[in-house]
Amino acid sequence: MKNKLGNIIIVIIFIIIIGVCFYFIYPFNTSVKLGLDLKGGTQIILKPTESKSDSQGQQQVTDESLDKAQLIILNRIDKLGISEPLVTRDFNRNIIVQLPGVDDPQRAIDVIGKTAQLEFKILESVDENNKPVLGPTLLTGDKLVKASAGYSQNGQIIVQMSFNEEGAKQFAKITSENVGKRLAIVLDGEVKSAPVIRQAITGGDAVIENIPTLEEAKDIALVLQTGALPVNLEIQESQTIGPTLGHDSLKQSILAGIIGFSLIAILMVSLYRGLGLISILGLIFYIIIFWGVIAGLKTALTLPGIAGIVLTIGIAVDANVLIFSRIKEEMLKGKSKVASFTEGFRNALRAIIDSNITTLITAAALYRFGTGPIRGFAVTLAIGVIISLFTAVIFVRAVLFLVVNSKAVTPGFVGIKLSPKNKEF
Amino acid sequence: MASKKKYPKKISKKLKAIKGKGDSKDTKVLEKSKEKEVIVHEDKPIILENKNNILYEKSGRFDFVGKNKYWVIFTTIFIIIGIIFFFVRGFNFGIDFLGGNLMEVKFKKPISISELRKNMESIGYGKAILQNTSQDQYIIRTLPLNQEQKDLILNTLDKNIGIEKPLVQDRNVAPGFSKTITRNALIAIAISIVGILIYAWIRFTVRFAVVAIIELIHDILLILSFYAITYREFNTTSIAVMLTILGYSLSDAIVVFDRVREELRLNKRDRFSVIINYSINKVISRSLATTATTLFPIIVLVIIGNETLKDFAYGLLVGIISGTYSSVFVGPPILISWNNKFPRYSK
Repeated sequence: MKNKLGNIIIVIIFIIIIGVCFYFIYPFNTSVKLGLDLKGGTQIILKPTESKSDSQGQQQVTDESLDKAQLIILNRIDKLGISEPLVTRDFNRNIIVQLPGVDDPQRAIDVIGKTAQLEFKILESVDENNKPVLGPTLLTGDKLVKASAGYSQNGQIIVQMSFNEEGAKQFAKITSENVGKRLAIVLDGEVKSAPVIRQAITGGDAVIENIPTLEEAKDIALVLQTGALPVNLEIQESQTIGPTLGHDSLKQSILAGIIGFSLIAILMVSLYRGLGLISILGLIFYIIIFWGVIAGLKTALTLPGIAGIVLTIGIAVDANVLIFSRIKEEMLKGKSKVASFTEGFRNALRAIIDSNITTLITAAALYRFGTGPIRGFAVTLAIGVIISLFTAVIFVRAVLFLVVNSKAVTPGFVGIKLSPKNKEF
Repeated sequence: MASKKKYPKKISKKLKAIKGKGDSKDTKVLEKSKEKEVIVHEDKPIILENKNNILYEKSGRFDFVGKNKYWVIFTTIFIIIGIIFFFVRGFNFGIDFLGGNLMEVKFKKPISISELRKNMESIGYGKAILQNTSQDQYIIRTLPLNQEQKDLILNTLDKNIGIEKPLVQDRNVAPGFSKTITRNALIAIAISIVGILIYAWIRFTVRFAVVAIIELIHDILLILSFYAITYREFNTTSIAVMLTILGYSLSDAIVVFDRVREELRLNKRDRFSVIINYSINKVISRSLATTATTLFPIIVLVIIGNETLKDFAYGLLVGIISGTYSSVFVGPPILISWNNKFPRYSK
């Protein structure tokens, strides 16, 4: 029978897919990337504002400047020695920084958000409020090639900087023209130090003095070395989840999943007997494929993602419930097994496809306009809906039609009793 | 199978006679009087009772549309109470809407809320919102804090009570940040509603599409009422929950409409209300089974989950029940009334 061969091929394809999925989900406990809310860590959302650096005038927030800002931030985080950082952007152009495993984020926050606009100006005088009066910007930090923290010969904490060739030339010119004056070194609008220029400096090196702690000196060196951010960034939200909370959430979700699955299995078998068993097989396949896809795509699983999974398990089971109740109905009308199964699938498929397409419409809108956690939810929802169509409809259908002619498939197998009149079934 | 016991002998005999001869798929009228009508539909006898010129099914089937007044009153009252609560007390907005700082702290020993309050008052944070998540664990909500203020609170609590480091969680949200979140959520809701409307319009008719949207709005209002009445925290999670329910509730509506559409095609004879009630009776076992299977894991989360998970689970619980409910008790009566006013199918 041609049809039978087709069904066998479908089942074999599914078994191969399951094998591939096992490849992705092995080893079990590390294959799926966990989101910060499950693993613990820090997430910082930064909103770009137009840079108000007076030297270059107003700077527009462009995609290029944001790309550059993301790179610089990633660079700074790397230098802090934080592993697996993730710097992304949402569609509102907020920059989202994720630092897994970081539970004391203050230093990271300090370093990441710093604009690090370094400027050299001449200190003209000091006004009556003891505020420095500065001349125009003569040189900026983008001509630096190196910055490092250390101690000076007399034991002071300093940051040492080296200019590139062009910067060194400019610096030599500035210092030679202004001997005897004070050179203000300004970082993000704050005068860090203002040493007196004793002689022209031609070696291309400069020093920031008067730094209270070595830690701060290291941070300054770090942000100088990674360059100034092309935009100012304001911290909108910082969130730190301790490792215990994330672990609890994950454990409870898994437990809820196991208990929920068992209850679903009991209900399906008591309602649909043999059909229920096949749908449970379909559901197990669904979970394995879902797991494999999540592991293979390397999308991080978050708490809202888990909610999405719970919902899609509901959707997957729903497809089977729709089909099975139709099969029961057709059998009660007195149709043959093959006719009931065929009709049951055909009649249920319309509703399944309609409701899945509308769910996909919702998921698409969520993905396009949602922020962080909502997006994670939308992705799992969409993946789940599509996989459930394969496991709950195509796979279950193939298995059912393979067994439909066996003697085991009786009205009792479907979960109904037929009146004696309909015995010919 | 169910046809044996419930019918008077006279009808049973007639039924047998008809069953023997005719085509079992047709619907046949067996007995017709002012009060009731007995028909055979798909080999099964159905008694229809005539009330106010609308035929309602009996014969062991539940009359869903007959009592629609009571159902409508029930949810309307719930939503009105929700609206009253909303205007009197408002939502319990979380920090992602208001801005502020939230720290969840595990202490080294169990501590009472009043003792913690005293500690917070001593450093000028008497107005902080305190909520215990277990005997030795508290959520402390304040206005946005800078690092010094945060250090002051944590050092004081550490000195007087003793806290476990690292913190369970720590969130700081700038005020006004939620504006974009809220705007995006509203855009997402609007776009999915328009998308759904167009799809349902293409697949069904305008009528069904509009009623589906009414059901969705009903469900969203019900969830919002739930948040207003219970004063559960309303945060970005709640928005995600509402968006989820949009999709879920719609599946329920579509399953009912799909059946109605099919019955309308097969059965040209019966009144619209009868067809709708018949369709609901046919899909109700599916609706209940699906609702149950989806609710199982959610109920487990409501029972064992931590606060973060409970936020999700409670909203989904209410939304899923509401979605099933509205697909049976809100949408169909509206379809019938609409058809009574502007007949399109046999009244």
